[in-house]
Amino acid sequence: MTARAGDARPSGPPAVIRESLQGKYSGFASRFTAFAVDVGASLGVYMLALAAISFAARVLTGKDITWNKGDIWVIITFSVWEFIYFAYSWAASGRTAGMALFGVRVVRDDGTDASARRAIVRTLAFPLSFLFLGLGFAGILLGGRRRALHDVIAGTAVIYSWDARAARLRFLSKS
Amino acid sequence: MIPRSETWAQAAAERAIELVVSALDVNALLDDVDLNALLDQVDINRLLDRIDLNRLLKRMDLNDVVEHIDIEALVDQTDLGAIIAASSSGAASDVLDAVRSQTVGLDEFIARWIGRLRRRPYTGPPGPPDRLRPRAGP
Repeated sequence: MTARAGDARPSGPPAVIRESLQGKYSGFASRFTAFAVDVGASLGVYMLALAAISFAARVLTGKDITWNKGDIWVIITFSVWEFIYFAYSWAASGRTAGMALFGVRVVRDDGTDASARRAIVRTLAFPLSFLFLGLGFAGILLGGRRRALHDVIAGTAVIYSWDARAARLRFLSKS
Repeated sequence: MIPRSETWAQAAAERAIELVVSALDVNALLDDVDLNALLDQVDINRLLDRIDLNRLLKRMDLNDVVEHIDIEALVDQTDLGAIIAASSSGAASDVLDAVRSQTVGLDEFIARWIGRLRRRPYTGPPGPPDRLRPRAGP
């Protein structure tokens, strides 16, 4: 995929997507960027909800409510919201909004759909992967099945779910 | 009323035809026919001019024909899937394809470098899981 200096070819899909990637274990960049999008999206929705509550309180009572990120209620409600966001998404369809955007999906380690129980366990185990400078994520880079610590605990894996071959054909039809 | 002699004559003619047909070896007859020479003599354009396509289509039950088509098998056997993929993309899916392709490229770049550091040749993304592997046909 690396282009040599002076290579004048137009930037297209990488060589790896000459074949469909569907079902193959997803790599680090796809998973990380999907997670970053999810954090942004869920945080945005949460802040919008707080703003809506503040606005409603001002209209109904005439008093302003201010939220500090150190407030225990803010921490608790944000944690609950994040849990619901990730656990529900993984249980319902195997993917969050960010994962849908980047074409990756959570499945059981044998490839079948992840159950609600596994989705909940995965969500609860997810913070453990951040411990010890994110050592739990090393499995994505080094493991044969690209599984992080929370994947191993929940018995799940993350696979590519988009049809890369069709994307390449679309690209070729327009070039 | 049909005269009796005419009825006999018709019955005799039908019987004669039956005997001739049963005596004919149709396979041997077809072997002797030079289809290429026959087709060379057919004026296709003239034949097509004589066909009333509208009348023909009116007599056909197209819904019934479509119901008999196995779309899944058709897509599998032809490159129809590729044609659909090529024709059904919009601007949004182009952006999505580009973003996903570049991210997959980054996945591969990272994986290749990890492979070099570990002195293990990288042969592409691993997988799929057992239940997603294509199974051999019966």
